[in-house]
Amino acid sequence: MKIQFTSEQAALRDELRQYFRALMTKELRDECERDMGEGGGPLWREALRQMGRDGWIGLGWPESLGGRGLTPLEQFIFVEEVMRAGYPFPFLTTESVGPILAEHGNAWIQREIVPKILAGDLLIAIGYSEPGAGTDLANLKTRAERDGDDWVINGQKMWTSLAHFCDYTWLAVRTDPEAPKKHKGISMFLVPNSDPGWSCTPVHTLGGVRTNATYYDNIRVSDDHRVGELHGGWKLITGQLNRERLSLINFGPSAELFNATVRWARDTELPAGGRVIDQGWVQMNLARCRAAIECMKLIVYKQSWAMTAGNLEMADASAAKVYGSETFIELYRALGEIVGQAGLLRDGAGCDSARRLERLYRTASIITFGGGTNEIQRDIISAAGLWMPRASR
Amino acid sequence: MDFGFSSEQQDIRQLARQILGEQVSAESLKAYDEYAAPRFDRALWRTLSEAGLVAVPVSEAEGGGGFGFMELALLLEEVGRSIAPVPVLSHCVGGLMVLERFAGSDLKQRLLRPALAGELLLGAAVLEAGNEDPVNPLLTRAETSGDGLRLNGSKQAVAFARQSDYLLVAARHVDGVAVCFVDTRAPGVTLQDCQSTAFEPQAHVLLDNVEVAAEYVLEPSDGAAIMHWLGERLCAAHCAHQIGVADAAMRMAASYTSERQQFGVPVATFQAVGHRVADCYIDIECLRLATYQACSLLHDECEAGVETRIAKIWAGDTGHRVNYATQHVHGGMGIDRDYSLWRYSLWLRHNEMTLGGSSVHLAALGRSLAAGEGLFA
Repeated sequence: MKIQFTSEQAALRDELRQYFRALMTKELRDECERDMGEGGGPLWREALRQMGRDGWIGLGWPESLGGRGLTPLEQFIFVEEVMRAGYPFPFLTTESVGPILAEHGNAWIQREIVPKILAGDLLIAIGYSEPGAGTDLANLKTRAERDGDDWVINGQKMWTSLAHFCDYTWLAVRTDPEAPKKHKGISMFLVPNSDPGWSCTPVHTLGGVRTNATYYDNIRVSDDHRVGELHGGWKLITGQLNRERLSLINFGPSAELFNATVRWARDTELPAGGRVIDQGWVQMNLARCRAAIECMKLIVYKQSWAMTAGNLEMADASAAKVYGSETFIELYRALGEIVGQAGLLRDGAGCDSARRLERLYRTASIITFGGGTNEIQRDIISAAGLWMPRASR
Repeated sequence: MDFGFSSEQQDIRQLARQILGEQVSAESLKAYDEYAAPRFDRALWRTLSEAGLVAVPVSEAEGGGGFGFMELALLLEEVGRSIAPVPVLSHCVGGLMVLERFAGSDLKQRLLRPALAGELLLGAAVLEAGNEDPVNPLLTRAETSGDGLRLNGSKQAVAFARQSDYLLVAARHVDGVAVCFVDTRAPGVTLQDCQSTAFEPQAHVLLDNVEVAAEYVLEPSDGAAIMHWLGERLCAAHCAHQIGVADAAMRMAASYTSERQQFGVPVATFQAVGHRVADCYIDIECLRLATYQACSLLHDECEAGVETRIAKIWAGDTGHRVNYATQHVHGGMGIDRDYSLWRYSLWLRHNEMTLGGSSVHLAALGRSLAAGEGLFA
């Protein structure tokens, strides 16, 4: 038990912070801003390739898979720093689907897909939800049917975020319509978005961020594009979601936003006299945020450590997701109260924290249901963490 | 960064869990309810001492077990899990650890050695009426008297005061803060028993021209740093105790609701019930991580002011929420004195409030932030 960075880990963080200070040029920042913090622009893509060339993306991956052989904790330090720098890092591709492909992919995937992920050259969207399959994901209807040596895929997915600039979709499809249990008849495919049968239409959301509906019309792929066992996709989905839950609650940007808001409150005089931070309620709000983010930090470090030790518990991954997502929303509220009226102005009236909080508050509602709704996470905690019986569904 | 336990740490935890599991039960705790007897199981205390657990935080060179504060925290967690009637916290933190760190060889000979041999019980008198800050005594005064000190004033609600042989006392001195050990039987010392929410043996300590010989003075006037050091460790120790109490209460709630049937099904199958317990799980994980972080930093004598406050904020919030959630899902059983949850409820409250509730520490953390400290690295 030693809850401190080793000197190597501290040095890595410093090196990365310096690296990203140089990488995040004003032009790149402006482009990311324009793209609503989602990425996808040309400068953004080039910066990702740069990170790949510099060997950062696979920092914590085993050397046998083309990584640098450090642990998931170092990998997390990298992701924390890249996101802290304000770069919309495509963690679904690199931290969530990527490792599953590396572990379960066939020879073609190992050869053609994985190296490109580590090179920052290939992006993957996630195709799970459908109009009739959300929380009850196993109810999905999109299907893949065998035709000779190939598969033919038909169906529709919802909330396929980032799909409009991704290269592939990590697609959950039904391969056995007769399976007695719905989740036993699902397989995973990697479908090229360049296929003429692939299309997408935008869905515009509260926060201004675009997501998509995607359509799969007689897409023909070889068996190489299938990942893992036939009808064994459910295990890959849950494994991917566990990893996604960890990436979703990266605390780096929150720690940075907190620091910036404290500095602003220290440096800003009130018209009536005194500094913003001299007000007792401001200090209380800040202290609450400080204590809350500290635990977010500890939870994710512990989970990165547990992944290294190979004992990431399902209940703990779910606890991290619930705690992190609900904490983000409270943070945006508490810090938003401090910046006050400026937090309603889209330019933040000269206060950078206010500008960010204006957007964060309206884009935050996705996080309590995205990546698996928090009700399901709490079910997992009480069942897997405390052995409490669950109602049958 | 390592969140795992060493094999020694696992052994200490295991040994404590085994002894406390065997010797503490709802039946044995019943003897102390409503102060029917002082809540101090001397036979259990002897067993813990003989097993080497009481001496865990003291180095081998000083005759201790050769471990540190982190290992003591793990022991305290187990004491909390069983809400055992033993003075591990006050004796080990307020007595042994302070002496090892700050006493000269003469005072170590007088107090530390016999305390490790089980001949003396030690404690710390750190709270005053209306003043929960150990660093800043306001109602106890010290003046120079010969080579030693003369004390006047009072300390409030001192744990195990009547059972202790010597108590650490901090007092305001004209030049700063004096810190010394006071013989509880010395002339001028009056112990006034008081009754506390969790039935812990406590007394107000009244000091009327109490003479303390130079040999028992840790620091005549420059003792604020000692009290700062001790205050942080006492806080973290209460947090460690709280982990055990809260975890035990949550597990009681999980198993009770899994068995209790209503409408023909276990009540745990109602999402509203399961989710309430899941929230306890998340709260306790946060308390655990914040506490382990503070303890591991304090163990290594690293700066941990912010981290310790954060742990105590979680000990307060988690204590409060777990208390009422576990009571609630138990229905009437939670308050029934024939079932054991009610005592846990009292200890959750004890740890929440002792040395300051969450708001006290939030306000202090807020002041630090305003003063330019405590940003994220």
